[in-house]
Amino acid sequence: MSIVSGLLLIALAGVILNVLFYKSKIVQKYVSLLLFAVLAYLSFNMYKQVGSHFSIPFLIAGQSIGFTITWLNYYFALMITGITLLTAIFSLKYMEGKEGIVHYYTVLFMKTFGMLGVILSSDLITFFVFWEIMSWSTFSLMSTGGKEAPKSALKYFIFAVTASMILMVGVVLSYSLFGSFDFAVIHSKIDSLSLPMTGFLLSIFIVSFSIESAVFPMHSWLPEGYSNTFTTFTAYLTGISTRIGIYGIILFLFGIFGIQTVDKLVILGKINFRYIFGVFAALTMIIPTFTALYQHDAKKLIAWHSVGQGGYMLIGLASANALGISGGILHIINYLTYQVLIVFAIASVEYRTGTTNLNKLGGLIKKMPVSYLALLFGIIGLAGLPPMNGFVSKWFIYKALIMSGYPFLAIAAVIGTIGTILSVYKLIHNMFLGQLPERYNDIKEVSFSMQLPMWILMIVVFGLGVYPGLAMGLIAKIQTSLGLAVVPYSLHGIASGSGQLNMLVITALFMGGLAVAWIIYLLGSRRKHVNQYNNYAGGHFLNKDVAYNFNYEFYAAIEHVIDPYRKKIIERTERGIIGLVDAVSEYVRRIYTGMINTYAIYILTAFVITIIFLKELI
Amino acid sequence: MNTVLWIIFLPIIIFIIGTFMLGYSRKFIARIERRYGPPIQQVFYDIFKLMNKKTNISHGWMHDIAILMLLGGTLLTLYFIPVPGFHFFAQYGDMLVIMYILLIPALGMALGVGETANPNGSIGISRALMMLAGYDIPFFLTFIGMAMLNQTTSMYELINIQQAGGFFGWGLITNPLLGVAALIALQGMLGEKPFEVMVAPHEIATGPMTEMGGKYLGIMMIQHAIAVVVELTIYINLFLGGALNWFEYIIKLFVLFTVLLSVNAVFGRFRTDDAVRFMWKIPLPMAVIGVLFIIF
Repeated sequence: MSIVSGLLLIALAGVILNVLFYKSKIVQKYVSLLLFAVLAYLSFNMYKQVGSHFSIPFLIAGQSIGFTITWLNYYFALMITGITLLTAIFSLKYMEGKEGIVHYYTVLFMKTFGMLGVILSSDLITFFVFWEIMSWSTFSLMSTGGKEAPKSALKYFIFAVTASMILMVGVVLSYSLFGSFDFAVIHSKIDSLSLPMTGFLLSIFIVSFSIESAVFPMHSWLPEGYSNTFTTFTAYLTGISTRIGIYGIILFLFGIFGIQTVDKLVILGKINFRYIFGVFAALTMIIPTFTALYQHDAKKLIAWHSVGQGGYMLIGLASANALGISGGILHIINYLTYQVLIVFAIASVEYRTGTTNLNKLGGLIKKMPVSYLALLFGIIGLAGLPPMNGFVSKWFIYKALIMSGYPFLAIAAVIGTIGTILSVYKLIHNMFLGQLPERYNDIKEVSFSMQLPMWILMIVVFGLGVYPGLAMGLIAKIQTSLGLAVVPYSLHGIASGSGQLNMLVITALFMGGLAVAWIIYLLGSRRKHVNQYNNYAGGHFLNKDVAYNFNYEFYAAIEHVIDPYRKKIIERTERGIIGLVDAVSEYVRRIYTGMINTYAIYILTAFVITIIFLKELI
Repeated sequence: MNTVLWIIFLPIIIFIIGTFMLGYSRKFIARIERRYGPPIQQVFYDIFKLMNKKTNISHGWMHDIAILMLLGGTLLTLYFIPVPGFHFFAQYGDMLVIMYILLIPALGMALGVGETANPNGSIGISRALMMLAGYDIPFFLTFIGMAMLNQTTSMYELINIQQAGGFFGWGLITNPLLGVAALIALQGMLGEKPFEVMVAPHEIATGPMTEMGGKYLGIMMIQHAIAVVVELTIYINLFLGGALNWFEYIIKLFVLFTVLLSVNAVFGRFRTDDAVRFMWKIPLPMAVIGVLFIIF
């Protein structure tokens, strides 16, 4: 049995087992965990069968359909199964005694099944079918856990259906143009297509995937949809689900259309298809990141970053030079690790305190040091500071954009990073720093099964930061298999060229700096720890009845600066779109007069038109 | 061997220059305000006194680590910046790396101050981060412009390219818009007036320093002395053609610092939102125009 069928059948078996034994705690917990572990093991071993093809034993429109293992989908399969396993371990304790546990693992397996199918498929039909399974299970994931969840899931549903319909148009159009569904066949015939048609077909696919990966104007479903569900699902969804859209973009942009074909789509001078794509990516980086500043809910704040970080991957891909593309692909795994780490830390806090409201928390570092450390590693990665992994991929992207002459896209990436630093500091400060409210005095650190995934991810976040070469090896293989140039990487960063990067030297120097600082620190006399009420308050005495904390409206001043622009640009645009839709709907509504006579005339007209058309066709 | 000596003695040399520069700044401001001012070595005395304090109050382990991150991160930045005669580490990290490791001490500081559970400190950090959004965007854009013009992101190569052109090869001369924009941003980066909101002694009790005392404050002062030199050196290397020898380097440091101090001496303090707005309305468009000149 090939690994592909093994992966898909096990995921399906998980769904069936969980449906059949929906009351059994053992199936829910341990059998599911075992199956997830097997999935991770199998997908890790997929590299042995790279290039092999597996056909589904029936034909569609006279064509064989199936799955292929490539380096690109090996990379994604690793991430999917790895993060599912960690989520399952984390959920053991987190979901204990919660109401939603009945369907929890069913939808988790369903989603894994769908995603694995999407990334492994080698033709448009399989791709589309699994895409639908994936979208439906995302909807199910979002609609569990909480009162608000079904409403926001419905919002996603509308977007997802639109995306699927657009994708469907693309599938049908490609079949009529190329006479085949197979990716390889389409790739070989793509050059015969006229340029406007190529542009149209590419736009169809890119728009469809952009909705799934929440690119700027199509992002509004994500923050609420992701933050209203269970926090473990938030981790799972932000971590990998959104990035399947990026998989689609990588596959179609580089694998099927090819970068040479895409670069022929020039509009004016330097403004080509890629550049427009890059501008949307830049907006995706800036606007959601600064929207995150306004959030008062930890989950919502991090969900906005899930939108924003997608922009970095896309802008890396849009730069279309070897460094930028590898940066974009590397950012996917980096993002996955630190983002899931952050959400796990938030989930731990929620598990103990029962809230994710940033205005009500504070001072938890004393009670939950491991969760604090996890969040700290995560936010350093998210903000893109050395020595964590987020810095490496962002460095690739900045450098690629500067060197290929896109200064304003590069500064957009910098603005996004600064917005990220601001909002993540708010996150860690309001949750873990500042004054500890009296009601949280008896809180303990979470149990080991919840700490374990966080420790693993912390090691990965730091490890990939110091040794980016571990992931770069796989990425170089992906780039070669897609026919792209490869970056001269080493284990610690970029090997050659001016202004190279060596993360090991940076980390070692930082450790050395810390050591020197520690020696100077030890020169002074011993420090004494004091409690939080032993504090400067301008002569007043502090006790537990005095609220002495600053976390509400943390960035009020910069909000004053941004607000006018936000109101002017975004709200007016939104109002304009609403007005337009209203006006159009008003005309559409008039079709439904409510009188039976008019409807009879409609039916008659449709009938006549059909007959006329049929006559011509025959 | 030479490299090892540099690694050991560079922080000490820079620290001594930095403390004298801080002492000079106190004297300079005092003379403008018609005071006599403290002696120029006063900062040494202050640090010595603070390091010898018997009571050192700490609010938790992050507070202790933060102070190490603060100084350690600054030393890290120091090594990556080419100074006359020493550019060994410049080959392992370019200007992009420097811009981001500059933020490590800031982050460490922010976390430690957060743990002290003093709202004055948190307000100070919140203001400092907002100022970061103000000055970092124009400063980064000027750097991107210089990097694009010279097709390198390495600071050492930027110095060499400028020095090859002599005085007229300086970034400030070839790209005056970028140079001036970066100078204004530098004023914010150093936290000199009018961009002094994060410390603001009369409003928020010196902000981040509120709960720092004894050796904590001492280490902060050591770090401040080094950080001032580091940030000025970044500007010198980008726009003033670096320096060929230490004499020229120190002259450039003091001249540049005097320019910034003269602005500092005559201004009041901008409100945070006004400061950010100023940064986005004056230096940022200047930098954008400067970059447009480079593209076309």
